[in-house]
Order: sequence, then structure tokens, then C-alpha cells
Amino acid sequence: MARDVTLASASHAEWIKFRSVRSTVLGFVVTALLTLGISALITSVIRGHWTTMDPLSRLTFDPVSTSLGGTLFAQFAVGVIGALFITSEYSSGSIRTTLAAVPQRLRVVAAKALVLSVSMLIVAEVLSFVTFLMGQAIFSGVVPTASLATGAVLRSVILAGVYLTLLALLGFALGLILRQSAACITVFTSLLLVVPIIVFLLPQSWQDAFSKYEPSALGRAMMSTTPPAQMFGAGTATVILVIYVAVAATVGSIAFLRRDA
Amino acid sequence: MLKIEHLTKRYGDVVAVDDLDFEVTPGVVTGFLGPNGSGKSTTMRVILGLDRPTKGRATIDGRVYGELRHPLREVGALLEAKAVHPGRSARNHLLAMAASNNIAPSRVDEVLEFTGIASVATKRVGTYSLGMNQRLGIAAALLGDPQILLFDEPVNGLDPEGIKWIRDFFRTLAKEGRTVFVSSHLMSEMALSADQIIVIGRGRFIAQGSVDELTADVAGTVLVRSSDQARLAEIMRSRHATVHDRDDRALSVGGLTSDEVGEAAFAAGITLYELTPQRASLEEVFMGLTADAVQYASASTEVPRGA
Ligand SMILES: Nc1ncnc2c1ncn2[C@@H]1O[C@H](COP(=O)(O)OP(=O)(O)OP(=O)(O)O)[C@@H](O)[C@H]1O
Ligand SMILES: [Mg+2]
Repeated sequence: MARDVTLASASHAEWIKFRSVRSTVLGFVVTALLTLGISALITSVIRGHWTTMDPLSRLTFDPVSTSLGGTLFAQFAVGVIGALFITSEYSSGSIRTTLAAVPQRLRVVAAKALVLSVSMLIVAEVLSFVTFLMGQAIFSGVVPTASLATGAVLRSVILAGVYLTLLALLGFALGLILRQSAACITVFTSLLLVVPIIVFLLPQSWQDAFSKYEPSALGRAMMSTTPPAQMFGAGTATVILVIYVAVAATVGSIAFLRRDA
Repeated sequence: MLKIEHLTKRYGDVVAVDDLDFEVTPGVVTGFLGPNGSGKSTTMRVILGLDRPTKGRATIDGRVYGELRHPLREVGALLEAKAVHPGRSARNHLLAMAASNNIAPSRVDEVLEFTGIASVATKRVGTYSLGMNQRLGIAAALLGDPQILLFDEPVNGLDPEGIKWIRDFFRTLAKEGRTVFVSSHLMSEMALSADQIIVIGRGRFIAQGSVDELTADVAGTVLVRSSDQARLAEIMRSRHATVHDRDDRALSVGGLTSDEVGEAAFAAGITLYELTPQRASLEEVFMGLTADAVQYASASTEVPRGA
């Protein structure tokens, strides 16, 4: 009982809060359904059409990123999980209880980020591996498959889980900045869907320069064994995404420190 | 000791709290009284470190809230606005609070029992009635067994039995030597539950004292019934007294003592049937004290009609 309000105590509290609301559980269920369901759909369709696909497509076919395709849909669900972890505290007023219990605000941010990233990483990695193996099982016999024994394949599968975790943290950081669930979800989906459309409307040379910086392009780079030339390599893409998250989290933390609760 | 030290809080152009400076002593129930929007909740939020003061500070035994090692074990608070996620159960809400301040989980069951919500503790808070929410707020305030307790409008939503219970409960807490600071915009409530009262209006300090002291400061009125009420009223007015016709045909005279009213009536040859000095009720004192400070005064009590 002599312990102070440490990061450990604050994280324990945040963990109880995280797991005790329906939205978290529901968010994870939707994440799993999207990752597995969409991947199953994509891989089955490819298996069905493999023999009629044109030779060039078959030549450049990547069984790894294709089997992880559901991840690019699940990214919306994890963004919402991350955002709600903080915005629901504002909408319900429970942020006041939280800050009265732990007045060190950066410790609250750290505890939440820790709970969110650890639980998201575990769930997302399990999902990535299951999705990958499921996809290879669906491909097997007809479509070429990949093995986890290959370094680049293992890296892609692991980075798919990392990608989802980073996007959950990005959603959380936006939540710190915007404080409102609806605003946050709008901005998050705009970043992932609308920004690429805007980039698409730019002249070709600009497109080539900018499109690789889009979060979902970074995600695709992270998940592919051999990213195409116009994209970043998997390592660079990961670092850039980490920088995005770090910048958003820093802005969010400063706002969180300064504002009245 | 809870101290408010020259505290000012501005929200943009709104001055919510204006240079408040007072102490709340342990061992008694201290009422914090003011009309709507006078800055009570703001003061409470500043004490808890939730809102940053523009000037001044609030201290607990010399330290600001953020410096407390285990804040929930030193200060417990029931805030005005609900501060619980509706999708979480009361039990989980309290367990999370307990975990953050290293309070034993068994204490959660104790406070749930004590506030009478143990039987619904695993239900989602969103399904609770106003009264149950209020009880959960009280359970949360008591969780760390703190020496200082803040209650913002605690009787809101409680039934008469609950109100009686909470008044006794405040007294018990104060008798145990704790600091009990309770806000309300109802003087009548404060008169029954507080030993000491701090009155504010528009964020400013107005008065502090016991119920007796506050009522003694304000002159009462004199109730008069006589053989000629109309003429008596005229005479009173000519002496700059305030005169109100009461429904029971008696006059309520303010600004003169009963001796002065009696002598004036005698001089005018009016027979007095009744001459009773009335002590100002706490409610009148409050209205008098805060008359200039009411922010959201209603123009009249008549309901506006559509055209
Ligand atoms: N977060 C805020 N932003 C802007 N203005 C605020 C904020 N909080 C309070 N105010 C303003 O500050 C003043 C004091 O409000 P406060 O809620 O402290 O009053 P109160 O005494 O608790 O009133 P009530 O009896 O209605 O609860 C009001 O004019 C209110 O509109
Ligand atoms: Mg209030």
C-alpha cells in the first residue's frame, strides 16, 4: 500500500476500464470478422479465377499481402477502438473521474497507450497469423503459396499486426486532439480514404511523389514481401507510420495537458 | 485543511470565479451556497485539478491536488455532472478507481454495501436512475476513505428518504473530524444540513457564517394587523419603510422596528390587533444577499403564451 500512483497502477485501472465496456469487445469482434472474412473472400475469389487470370498478374502475384487483404478493412475498426478509448471518456464525463484519480495527465496518456497497444498487438498478431495461414490453406493446390519459413514472409505477417496496432494508436491520438467520437471517426476515415482520392486527382508526377506517404499505402508496403518500386520498403514504411503516430500523439498529449477537463 | 486562495477562473470572457478566498475547516459541514451559475462547480473542479485556475489556487494541507500521492485517499468528490461511462458497471467503475490509487478491491464492496447499490453493482450504469447514480457518486467519493469530501449538489435526484439519509451522513462524516464541503443553490437545504455556510454570487464571495450569524445580519420585518390597514401602510411608507400586503390581510413592514411601528400607529390613533417581529428566514437572507448577483433571473413567473 506504500506504492505511489505509478504507471503500473494507472495502467491497471485503464485495463479494467478498457475491457469492461461493450464497445471494446464489439470493436475486436468487428476487427476479427473484417480481417478474416474479407481475406477469406479475396483468397477464395482468386483461387476460383486463378486459371483464367492473365499471365502478368500471375507473375507478380503476392500470396502474402493478398492473404492479409482484410487488414486494410479492419484498420477502420481498430481506429474506432483507439479513438473511443478516450472520446467516450469525454462524452460520458468519466474523464473527470479518471483525472481526479490520476492527476498526472501524461501518466494517463501513457497508461492508455500502453493498454491499447499491448492488447491490440496481441489480438492483431494472432489475427494476422491466422489470416495468413487460412489464406495459404485456401490457395493450396491451385495458387502458389508462401511459407512463414521465409524471412520476408514472416516479416510481412508480423508487420500486418504492427500496422493495425499503429492505426489504433493513431485513432487514440486523434481522440486526444478532437475529443469527440464523430469528429474523430470522420477525420480518421478521411485520412485513409479521402486523402488518396485527393492525391489521385493531382498530376501524375505529384501522385508518384505523394501517394506512397498515405497511411494505407504505408500499410500495403509493410505487408508485402517485395513492395513495388513506387512504394517505400517495409522498414521505411514502418518508420514513417511510427513518425505519424508519434507526431499526432505529441500534439494530442500537449492538448490534453493544457485543456480543462 | 482545504483552502481557496484568491482563486479566479475565467472561461474566455466569462469570469466564473472571481478572487474567492476562504478556508473550509474540518469537523463541520460547510455549505457552499450560490445561485445558478455562481461558480460553485467551477470551484470544485479547480480544487480537483480538473480546471486550471486563471489566478490563485486551491490547496489541501498546503499542497495543490496534483501533488497528492494518492489523491483518492485524501480527497473524495461527488461531481455535479455524471462522471461515469454509461456502458460500464458500477463495480468495474469503482474497481478501476481503486486500482489507480492502490486501494484494496474489497473496499469497493464495502462502499457499494454502504450506499445501498450492491445489488445492482454489476448492471450497466446507463440503466441507473438519478438517485442510484447519485449513490454511486457517493460510493466513489468514499472509496479512498478520504479526510476531505466534496459534494456538488448531492441531493439532486434523491427522494426524501435519501435526502434525510445524506444529511445524517454528512453530520457523521463531520463528527469523525473530516472536512465536508457541500454545494447547493437551495438555502433551505443548506439551513438543514450545514453548520457553516459560504455564500457566493457571480463568482464572488458574499458572506460566510453559521445560519444564525447570517440571519442576524439581516434585519427582519414586522407583521402588523390593525383597524385601518390602508392608512397605516401610507404612514409606514412615508417613513421610508417597505410595505407588503400579505394575502391574510396583514402588512409586512420592513425597515422599522416593532417599537417604531407601534408608536406610529398609536400617534395616528390606529388600533393594533397584532404586532409581531419576524426574523428573516434564511431564504430571505439568501435572496437579499444575492439579489444583485443572480445571473439568470426570470422576468416573471408567468408562462409566456404563444400568439
Ligand atoms: N467549461 C466552461 N466553459 C465556459 N464557461 C463555463 C464553463 N464552466 C462554467 N462556465 C460558466 O461559469 C459560470 C459558473 O458556472 P458553474 O457551473 O461553476 O456555476 P454553479 O454555481 O455550479 O451553477 P449551478 O448552480 O447551475 O450548478 C457560468 O456562467 C458558466 O456558464
Ligand atoms: Mg454547479
